[in-house]
Amino acid sequence: MPKVFNWQLNREMDYPYPAAIPKKQFAAVFDLNKCIACQTCTFACKNSWTVGRGQEFMFWNNVETKPYGGYPIAWDAKLLEMLGPQGWDAGTYTGKTIFEAAPAGRAALGFLPEELDWIHPNIGEDETSGIVPGGMHMTIPHDVWNFYLPRICNHCSFPACLAACPRKAIYKRKEDGVVLIDQERCRGYRECNRACPYKKAMYNGITRLSEKCIACFPMIEQGRQTQCIVNCIGKIRIAGWIRQPKDIDEEAPVDFMVHVRKVALPLYPQFGLMMNVYYMPPIHVPVPYLQQMFGPGVEHALEVYRNVKDDEQLLGLFLLMGSTDRWVDKFRVKDGKAFGYDAKGSEIVRVPIKEPNFVRPFHDVARNTFRHNIT
Amino acid sequence: MRITGQKLWVAGIAVFAAGIGAAMAGAGVASAQAQPQLRSVYVAGALPVTDPTSASWAQAAPVNVALTPQIVTVPMLLKGTIPSLEVRSLNNGDWIAFRLEWEDSSLDGTAITQDKFRDAAAIQLPVDPSIPGVCMGVRGQPVNLWHWKADWQTDIDAGFQDLTNAYPNFWKDYYPFAVGKPPFVVPQDFADADARRYLVGWAVGNPLSQPARVTPIEELVAHGFGTAASQSSQSVLGRGQWQNGRWSVVFARPMTTSGPDEAQFTPGGKGFVAVAAWNGSNQEVGGRKQISADLALTVAAPPAPAQQVSQAPIPAPAEPSFVKRYWWAGAVVLAALLVAGAAVLGDLYGRLSAAERKVTE
Repeated sequence: MPKVFNWQLNREMDYPYPAAIPKKQFAAVFDLNKCIACQTCTFACKNSWTVGRGQEFMFWNNVETKPYGGYPIAWDAKLLEMLGPQGWDAGTYTGKTIFEAAPAGRAALGFLPEELDWIHPNIGEDETSGIVPGGMHMTIPHDVWNFYLPRICNHCSFPACLAACPRKAIYKRKEDGVVLIDQERCRGYRECNRACPYKKAMYNGITRLSEKCIACFPMIEQGRQTQCIVNCIGKIRIAGWIRQPKDIDEEAPVDFMVHVRKVALPLYPQFGLMMNVYYMPPIHVPVPYLQQMFGPGVEHALEVYRNVKDDEQLLGLFLLMGSTDRWVDKFRVKDGKAFGYDAKGSEIVRVPIKEPNFVRPFHDVARNTFRHNIT
Repeated sequence: MRITGQKLWVAGIAVFAAGIGAAMAGAGVASAQAQPQLRSVYVAGALPVTDPTSASWAQAAPVNVALTPQIVTVPMLLKGTIPSLEVRSLNNGDWIAFRLEWEDSSLDGTAITQDKFRDAAAIQLPVDPSIPGVCMGVRGQPVNLWHWKADWQTDIDAGFQDLTNAYPNFWKDYYPFAVGKPPFVVPQDFADADARRYLVGWAVGNPLSQPARVTPIEELVAHGFGTAASQSSQSVLGRGQWQNGRWSVVFARPMTTSGPDEAQFTPGGKGFVAVAAWNGSNQEVGGRKQISADLALTVAAPPAPAQQVSQAPIPAPAEPSFVKRYWWAGAVVLAALLVAGAAVLGDLYGRLSAAERKVTE
């Protein structure tokens, strides 16, 4: 089996195909501290792509409440249990990926969710990690916690769906790294549904083929960010190109957050797919839980996040999140403003880091009236 | 270099397959022979092309074929559920038909929910009948696959298996560009091209996604693992029936067809045939299947006419018969009858025309 280098694990790993890193790779960063599970992303996606017959249960974008939520039910807990305890040595993964732990006759370790696993897309909504005893709400910090985890397909660099498809019906686009299921080649074997650890390949019982998130590629082709990103009312998301660690562009938003500040982390990097959706971990959640979910970079990421008020570059970039529908190729922060630029280098958005503060007089002489709100 | 490499590869696979064949033969399955044979028996007249229960099948001797789980390529089936099946074949000089029968206690006739898989069976025929069809074929030596699917059979027998078949009490009030009312019906309410666009597999012409089925059997060509592709022309008919815990499935096709990558049969000809079966309850699909080794196929030719004469000789008459002597009288009677008949018909036509005029007036 070919060896590929997975920088998220800081080591080589087995993968059925040699590495084929695309010219550009779609990536996104989601800030979990800001997500309120309003599901606007879910419905933006649903209305765009999965309104068809046979797609009723499908949410290519979903938001689940952690620790107990999951769509499909227990998608991650079940696989973590199958994989068993694995370890990290500093920044290097010493455990097995799902490819290395593949049982005989399979491309990857995985399971096919059962029909009923899909019927509660928001199970565990707002449930906390434990019972809130009387009076606890009066003191901070709280011992119980929960957080919201919005998920789309990770458009992985080493996709398990692609590895498992015996038809080679799944491909990764050279121009943007988007992973797609060819609807002409697919024969509905559901090997991808079984192998994808994130369970983002789903079976359409009417067309009898598998389907998945397409990263709104028609929008990307027009220099726009995806539906789930541009419709996010909390402005928690941003799309961008991600480069390999040796080719980092410090002015590219995702590179900056992932590679430079290391404030955004992959979801379950130990699975070994080198996934391309990154998360800023929630600062109120116990570190061990976050480490299981986002790997060994958690403590550093939390520290960077907590100190963002002193980091004008990162703060400026945070403010560009959700501030434009267009694809931000590069950003700069100067003179108290954050600027976003398109692929040609033209400015597409400009956001002040501090909103200007206007003070109006309490007594408006011209209108001879008094203001209740003067700022 | 390239050609040599390819040849080596082909040779390697052939040796490998021979090994598998030998292993299967050595597995000690009761009826497995070192060189299993299948004779397609000639019968005069129409073949039971869509009737697995026809009495005609009794004319073909059944061959019990051992199946082994597919463990050559990923994904594999490590533990099989169908140890053997029974094969028969008939031909009438124009059509050839195969009948497979196997035990399967569970009927898996649909694949419309996340975790349900259909039962299925297939026949593999090398396009070049002189070379055994090795494991889905190899580049340059394609195989034909006739793939019967239980869910297609259900679509044909009971109507297209739609959302309401999976969830009878579920409905959604809106699908873009669909006509009709909830719960809506595929395909008629989605006939519009814009509505179909939301059923992508259907819109792009994937044969798996077409709601209008003509036959439960898909005809494919394969040049190696993962290459099976639906043929542009589909000419295999058939039918599968599940009864008392057993599937029996007929596959039938004209012996000669005009397609480029299609196996052809000639009366008296020889070839190879392999079979495969899938058990939906065990989530068997694609490469997760049990397969047989190649059977040597002989297509029996119709008996020669000379033999027919010798089998049923017509005795020569000793003297001119009554018919021969008075044939002219018969001719006269026949002519008279014809004239009378014409007159009656003419009269009838006249009356009918009049009646018709009356009706239209």
